[in-house]
Amino acid sequence: MSSMPEGRTARDGSKKVGTILGLLAFVIAAVTIALWIRQINQVDIPENRTLFVCFFLLAVALGIGAFVFGTRWFGGVPAVIAIFIGSFLPFTIAISRQEVAANPIRVGDSIPSFTAVDDQGKRFDSDSLYGTPVLIKFFRAHW
Amino acid sequence: MEELRPEFDQRGVQVVTISTDRPEEIRREREGHGLQARMLSDRDLAVTDAFGLRNQGFHSAPPGDGTEALPVPTSLLIDREGKVLWMDQSENYQRRSGPEVVLAALREHLRPR
Repeated sequence: MSSMPEGRTARDGSKKVGTILGLLAFVIAAVTIALWIRQINQVDIPENRTLFVCFFLLAVALGIGAFVFGTRWFGGVPAVIAIFIGSFLPFTIAISRQEVAANPIRVGDSIPSFTAVDDQGKRFDSDSLYGTPVLIKFFRAHW
Repeated sequence: MEELRPEFDQRGVQVVTISTDRPEEIRREREGHGLQARMLSDRDLAVTDAFGLRNQGFHSAPPGDGTEALPVPTSLLIDREGKVLWMDQSENYQRRSGPEVVLAALREHLRPR
């Protein structure tokens, strides 16, 4: 009568769980990032980024879980991808949050006088703005 | 934003853009979009700081760009006397004041002449 050593069955069972976790991690990371990109393309950053971050971190947790349980390669590779996507996106979301300087201009304030150089290399003086309404746009830069 | 040109002209609005890009980089932008505006280069953030709009956030400036920080993307509507009528700031660099937001501000604060 042959019987499988207990340790081996347990490891195989564990690997099954690990593989499933790895694949699940990947699916969650992939779906979440697809939804995120779709929102960005509609120039509509979701107000509730927290929900997205939670799903990304869930993907990371499941991915790590895959390795804790032990996984086959087809669960491991997706798990690694999920961990990468799941960690990277929350990081970029975090650094894209912005805070203003201590004393920003406010509605009702008068704009300061300023000079600068324009794209043609010509000098600009803000005095030239007086007497007409102005729309001033501060951009983040071309990239 | 150029689709608002008629609305700007009806109200005599001058448009000024400010970024930390070099003048050559801004010129390329202008050629790409055909924007009618005074487009200013604020490499040392002197203008940004005069308005108090320097972004204090983490990793504000691109590495190797030669600038130390960036402004928080902001739109300001100014009246004929230089007073701020309206302001819009995206809290995230991926979102900017769209034309419809600016149009609403124009209609609310400035009557066509």
